[in-house]
Amino acid sequence: MYGGDEVSAIVVDLGSHTCKAGYAGEDAPKAVFPSVVGAVDGIEAMDVDADSTKTNSNSEDSKTESEKEKGKRKLYVGSQAMSYRRDHMEVLSPIKDGIVSDWDLVDNIWEHAFKSCLMIDPTEHPMLLAEPPLNTQQQREKAAELMFEKYKVPALFMAKNPVLTSFATGRATSLVVDCGGGSTTISPVHDGYVLQKAVVSSPLGGEFLTDCLLKSLESKGIKIRPRYSFKRKEIRAGEFQVEDVDIPNTTESYKLFCQRMIVGDIKDSICRVPDTPYDDKSYSNIPTTSYELPDGQMLEIGADRFKVPDVMFNPSIVQTIPGMEKYADMIPSVRGLPHMVMESINKCDVDIRRELYSSILLAGGTSSMQQLKERLEKDLIEESPHSARVKVLASGNTTERRFSVWIGGSILASLGSFQQMWFSKSEYEEHGASYIQRKCP
Amino acid sequence: MGGTDAKDILGLPKTPLSLTQEKKSRPQKESHRKPDGISREVYALTGGVAPLMPSIDLKRRPPADEKVAWKWLSFTNSARKDDLQLYHWVRVVNDVPPTGDYSFAKYNKSVDILKYTDEEYENHLTDPVWTKEETDQLFEFCQNFDLRFVVIADRFPVSRTVEELKDRYYSVNRALLRARAQSPADVANHPLMKEPYDITRDRERKRALSMVLSQSRHQEKKDAEILAEAKRITEMRLAARRAEEPDVSANENAGLDKADGVVPGRSVSPTSNSQLPATAVAPSTLTMADYASTLASLRMLHVYLRTYGLEQMVQAASSAVGLRTIKRVEQTLQDLGVNLKPKVPTKTVCDEHLELRKEILTLLNLQKQLQYKESEGSSHREGSYAAMPDTPKDRVFASDPFSFGAERPIKKDQKRKGPGRQADTPSPAHKRPRKLKASDL
Repeated sequence: MYGGDEVSAIVVDLGSHTCKAGYAGEDAPKAVFPSVVGAVDGIEAMDVDADSTKTNSNSEDSKTESEKEKGKRKLYVGSQAMSYRRDHMEVLSPIKDGIVSDWDLVDNIWEHAFKSCLMIDPTEHPMLLAEPPLNTQQQREKAAELMFEKYKVPALFMAKNPVLTSFATGRATSLVVDCGGGSTTISPVHDGYVLQKAVVSSPLGGEFLTDCLLKSLESKGIKIRPRYSFKRKEIRAGEFQVEDVDIPNTTESYKLFCQRMIVGDIKDSICRVPDTPYDDKSYSNIPTTSYELPDGQMLEIGADRFKVPDVMFNPSIVQTIPGMEKYADMIPSVRGLPHMVMESINKCDVDIRRELYSSILLAGGTSSMQQLKERLEKDLIEESPHSARVKVLASGNTTERRFSVWIGGSILASLGSFQQMWFSKSEYEEHGASYIQRKCP
Repeated sequence: MGGTDAKDILGLPKTPLSLTQEKKSRPQKESHRKPDGISREVYALTGGVAPLMPSIDLKRRPPADEKVAWKWLSFTNSARKDDLQLYHWVRVVNDVPPTGDYSFAKYNKSVDILKYTDEEYENHLTDPVWTKEETDQLFEFCQNFDLRFVVIADRFPVSRTVEELKDRYYSVNRALLRARAQSPADVANHPLMKEPYDITRDRERKRALSMVLSQSRHQEKKDAEILAEAKRITEMRLAARRAEEPDVSANENAGLDKADGVVPGRSVSPTSNSQLPATAVAPSTLTMADYASTLASLRMLHVYLRTYGLEQMVQAASSAVGLRTIKRVEQTLQDLGVNLKPKVPTKTVCDEHLELRKEILTLLNLQKQLQYKESEGSSHREGSYAAMPDTPKDRVFASDPFSFGAERPIKKDQKRKGPGRQADTPSPAHKRPRKLKASDL
């Protein structure tokens, strides 16, 4: 690598759905786990605590500073810990509406990533953090504080997600369409800087689509059983019988979490974006695809395959899905994906618009849905002015799309000319956390 | 090392003197020899000749007496202002770590921004719209963002357009240059002085560009439709005007079946005009149209030689007829004692000449028709056609308008040339007796 100089930096990208962490210079993150934390509140679960710590030695429990105030609260992080059902375990997400709401949980997640997944000592490695484009100054200062005070990293840098995606494809100017778990954000990047006034965001993300699918299936009478709630007994050779196991102390949030995992898998495997806007009549006779649930049920999914992804392009469809009424008031203000792209481009300065049109990048887990790129390109070509040549670029590899932010961070942190840009500990001590605004534009 | 190898391969002599002799013997050999390190087949791919670029010598080994190790060492970076020490792998030769600055430090380039003092600001740089704080902040941003005005406009706390920022920045620079210069001549060659930033032009340009780039497809379609409509209307109007205008000879008025009472026919009597059947419609109108279009095209060139014009007209007039006919026309002209090209080409003369030509053409056409009809008639001579409706094709024009009455019954015969000749301009030079038939008169 001619421009590269590895200093063994660590890249951490805490998304709303999954957290990705790994060494800079590599082409994929080593640690990928859901960015939710299972919290067992100590007061209720006193007696159960002892059992669970004995039975599951892998579980992560961290002694947080807030323990003293809240009473003993045990937090469990990581896909292994989360897939084990515990009584009274609430599933909490640290990120709400794209920004961090609970720094405790974030701390735990980071600790899990460093200590158990990567097994590193943070004091030896410069840290590159990926942050959402509309992050506030307060959030950044808190993150810097946490990193320097608690983990004592030698150097830190906070880069915005769209910039990293742009670098991952080798471009300094592009329009990044980040279809993530919690939200979809469209941000223009010019010469390596995000144009903050032109960032457009919508709450329709992968998790929203999963919820739509879940509600739609439930309304059809299909019961999605979480994995812990049934037992399969082999009564005859090859034939199984399903028995419901009643576990009284499981929280709703955990049940929902497990159901979402299953439905998320359904969505990933069989959902497709339709080529034309969805309407019930034309898709009523579509042949169905079958999917086998963990409890042995066979699902036949027909129209929903196309209906759910079309929510991204036509949010008003949500109103036709029973069970999603609580979002009905939010929907009118949300526009479809092509419209958001055009809105964002039109907010930018005129001179760069053409360049943005010709380099639209797709990123995020939801963007690997089949036919999303083609449909977006088609819609944009229809709507955009003739003189602008629209080109939507997406890596062919779905892993790369999911991790494009992380990969960009990996590239950035291992560049030789980046090494002068770190926000070092001594600078932090000298100027304070607010200096990060100057150092990490 | 590469040079001598290449020379060897090509069979070139090392000294230029023996060039000619060895060259003849060498070509045989060079295809059989190959350099070491590449297989024969691969070498043959290049055509058996060494590549034009010097290749990397893959087998270059470091001298055996050096001891090379890779060590994880810290380094300092002169591009950094603090003393952060990061670690990286370093190639250590003979236990001597490499000296010198970090190799990437030289890439740390930035734009030179002029700095002004407070008094300079007071004296030269005050502006009604811009406060000192804003100007200071603008300059700071220019320094941080390396004069990327799009990004500066995005991050500027007060919302200002890119053009305003550029305007302020460049005008401040110009004022500073002028103020600091010893004499005006010194700075006259500075690019800022020679081509000052013109904010109104920039605004206009951007406005035009935005109109092109921010229209949606619907608007564009509408615009295109409107333009097509407008074009159609103007063309219609133009065609109508063109039809009214031309100062055409009366000859071809027969061909005009539009309402052309406006036509300033030279010696056309309105009565005969109306009486005229649509004689010789096809060729006449064709010539008419050609005439009109040539006229129009000639008018486009505001100045032209009349002889050139005449030629064009003649061309147009004779475009529909064959070569033989043209020759006959010319023959007739000569018989009549008229020059093929008028000696004194004034407007009247040229027009008359043209008319003459046209009349001759028509004459010849009619003669031809007459002959056909006669041959037809002779086959029917046994029949009851007592009065062969033989139209007097070329009578003496000026005389006997009353004989026209005799042919009344014959009237409009689309296939024949009707007695349209009556209304023709009595060209003085054109009195050709025709072959009288028994059925005439």
